[in-house]
Amino acid sequence: MYERYHIHVEAAPPRYVPVPKFLMVRADNCINCGKCERNCVYGVHKRREDDPRQMADPISQLCKNCFRCVAECPQRALTLSLNQEFLALGNGVWTPQRIQTIWNESEMGKIPVLGAGYRGMFSGPGYDSMWTDMSEIVRPTRDGIHGREHISTNVIIGRNPFYLQFGPKGELLTPMPSFVELPLPFIFDLCRLKNITPAMQQGFARAAADLNTLLIVPMEDLDKVEREIPSANVVPVVRKISDLELVPPGTRMVEIEWDEGWEAVIKAARAKMPDVILGVRLMSGPGLEQRLLQTGQSVDVVHILLDSNGQDEEGRYARDKLRELHRSLVKEGHRDEVTIIVGGGIAAAEHVPKSIICGADLVTLEEALLVSQGCRACADCKEGNCPAEVTTAPSEYVKGRTINMCNAWRDQMLEVLGAMGIKEVRRLRGEVGRAIFQEDAERDSFVGITGGDASG
Amino acid sequence: MCVPEASWVPAERLKFVNRFVVERADSCISCGLCASLCPNGVHKRVEGHASILPPYNQRCIGPSCASNDYYCVRRCPTSSLSVRASETFPALGDVRWTADMVLATWRMAETGEPMPLDHPANLGACGGGFDQLHFRIPKGGSKPKDYQFETSVELNRRKTGPRVKIDIPVYGGGMSYGSVSLYTMVARAKAAQAWGTFTCTGEGGYPVELIPYKDHVITQIATGLFGVKEETIQRAPIIEFKYAQGAKPGLGGHLLWEKNTPLVAKMREAVPHTSLFSPFPFHSVYSVEDHKKHLDWISSVNPQALLSVKVSTPNDVEMVAVGSYYAGAHIVHLDGGYGGTGAAPEIAKKNIATPIEYAIPKVHRFLTNEGIREDVTLIASGGIRNALDVAKAIALGADGVVIGTAELVALGCVRCGNCESGRGCPRGIATTDPELIHQMDTEWGAKRISNLFLAWRGQWGDLLSRFDMHDLKELRGRTDLLRFDGGKEVKA
Repeated sequence: MYERYHIHVEAAPPRYVPVPKFLMVRADNCINCGKCERNCVYGVHKRREDDPRQMADPISQLCKNCFRCVAECPQRALTLSLNQEFLALGNGVWTPQRIQTIWNESEMGKIPVLGAGYRGMFSGPGYDSMWTDMSEIVRPTRDGIHGREHISTNVIIGRNPFYLQFGPKGELLTPMPSFVELPLPFIFDLCRLKNITPAMQQGFARAAADLNTLLIVPMEDLDKVEREIPSANVVPVVRKISDLELVPPGTRMVEIEWDEGWEAVIKAARAKMPDVILGVRLMSGPGLEQRLLQTGQSVDVVHILLDSNGQDEEGRYARDKLRELHRSLVKEGHRDEVTIIVGGGIAAAEHVPKSIICGADLVTLEEALLVSQGCRACADCKEGNCPAEVTTAPSEYVKGRTINMCNAWRDQMLEVLGAMGIKEVRRLRGEVGRAIFQEDAERDSFVGITGGDASG
Repeated sequence: MCVPEASWVPAERLKFVNRFVVERADSCISCGLCASLCPNGVHKRVEGHASILPPYNQRCIGPSCASNDYYCVRRCPTSSLSVRASETFPALGDVRWTADMVLATWRMAETGEPMPLDHPANLGACGGGFDQLHFRIPKGGSKPKDYQFETSVELNRRKTGPRVKIDIPVYGGGMSYGSVSLYTMVARAKAAQAWGTFTCTGEGGYPVELIPYKDHVITQIATGLFGVKEETIQRAPIIEFKYAQGAKPGLGGHLLWEKNTPLVAKMREAVPHTSLFSPFPFHSVYSVEDHKKHLDWISSVNPQALLSVKVSTPNDVEMVAVGSYYAGAHIVHLDGGYGGTGAAPEIAKKNIATPIEYAIPKVHRFLTNEGIREDVTLIASGGIRNALDVAKAIALGADGVVIGTAELVALGCVRCGNCESGRGCPRGIATTDPELIHQMDTEWGAKRISNLFLAWRGQWGDLLSRFDMHDLKELRGRTDLLRFDGGKEVKA
């Protein structure tokens, strides 16, 4: 029987109280009248259990800044302020809001829903200055995300043959290249995570196994995860030819660091395991296009690495870089010979469909995996000095939180696809016509306004 | 037109925040000098009380008061008073609705007095769109007191059919019974009646309490068809089809189960305490031809009604607008991605469909080139927060706008954004909780919304006088009067 892909989520409350956005402070002139307790619908204000004559300290993390208690306090003893510690969370594209969102997603596995409209910046760097399209009245393909139709999030890693050839009896003559089909367009990459413990690696491995996605691990850490996840879901990263001996049987894909002599490693790998998909990891930077066209001939997958802000070495954002690469590959006629995986700077659910629109086939989750465990994405991560004590997370906790985040992200991707009227994520690839880019929109719409067409 | 008069509609429970905090140290001897000095009423001593009351911060005008003789901090004999910036102030609002803008809206709702055109509250801080569009106001030339100007808009611009005119270029957006309280709905309807404009039922039925205002209430038909009956269609002067909404373009509607109380469910003919989804799109509409069939259906039920088509802002929004016009719509209502009041996935608000600022000029130009601009009314909504946003939308090419959030803020919304779940709005505006709704009454609410419109009208008059215009319609499509500050850093 046909089964829909389904992610099972369970609430995974955080191990420590998350940094609250608002701080509620009760001043000394409180007369313990309890008016705040009666007014608060969220339970911020409570009397002390040991002494009900007095009010307990407010529970700031429950506060949703409705200001009702502040307004009603007869003594004006309550002060609500923005928590400076919250504002200091994260760095770059890892804004405090995004970090808090990932924490919430990882706890419940649900799509964040709020009322009262949008409250953030108009646009921002990179993916923040593009919008996805939606289908209005005419939409023959689907009847809503709550309807009957299935939206597929499956993606395929591997080469696509240009055309199929059949023999006189209808038999397929074209040799079919091997491929990996995944139910999600995101895979986990543990190679670039700093200060990660074996327990966390195991947690991520179990989550990847449960989700049936891939886990990219450095060769030297393979022994730590191999009991938790089938080898078919592990992608070992190979550096030298001798590493190839260690690739476990059943492996479907191997990645190779782009380094001196990578061609020899590829050649050896091809000869040793012709059915395994080979990928190469490239740091994005000047000349990436050339390297991509060059490597694209010999490997099946190009894994582009960006920094944690989603920028390349020149500071260009994935939004522009990917579009350019995709376009040049299409122009050269090579796009279907290579799968593009992009990693780095994927900090929110919307970055997955946006990366795919700009030309990637799928993305890797890196830092987001840590943030889902309570990491605060500090600018410099020092071992032993983690304010969130991420490194002490047990593997079961890591697994649950990771699965929850992935479910929330997949569901949000369905919302985006649903709004666009697209039934499968593979058809989203390179669909820049179904997105609106800020510079284009401003050039088109603000022509005739002083300053409006300056960028055009 | 007859402009309603301003009334003084204070709200004590909104006086909790100000930019400044006045602190009184323990060294105060309660001499009462400060109370006799301060003309703003920060300090007060109740007759017969030994000590003076805690300072009323909300009335303080801040350290700039130091230039006055009566500056309490300097005059205090024991130096017990100090003034500093408030820490609560930055916790209010967000970059789109800044604390200044929320406070200014409250003040206009309280007094009906317009804000000056150069007041910081006229701009948000979100760094794009309306916040980077400015009017190129000529120097000098402030408004003569009796400056005459016209703000009405004709909603039916076709040659045939009933004439429907609104006195201000603003009407209320759809907020359903269930998403907001009955008191909120009636308050909006009363204000709409006073101003000769409209409010909209939203997709949650037509409560009987709105019937006295039926000439000013639009019936909305949305994809879930909740509460749509023949009599609600026949009662309304305008029928609005909601194809999509800016808060969640392409995703239909969503009332979370906690807000679906038995009364709400009865109105919607649904099961109480279940989440109610409106699908997307209309299951009976899969083409422009189907869309026309839909409009024809309403025309046959109520031939006197104007038809409004509310759509969101996709890439091809101009084609949708043209299609709607040819299908028979009188009003094309574009709802931009950043607006909305309803429960919506956060990912949809920021990422799906464009902000309204991009859609208006595109559609306006396209309709003009098509030769049908003068036969259709173009209404914009979605993130229009104040009088200058309205004027900017008109200058970009709209005939009028629809607002929702601004009315709620006038009613005391603090933009905390927790209206969607649990007991709903803790301040009793967007809730159906039997206890919470009693924080508001309709008369008070109606006057505050009416005051807000009066203040806005004053601002439009001020603006028109600077350009030597006497009708807001003259402003339409005048992008040459605008200046755009952005467009530099986003260059690809």
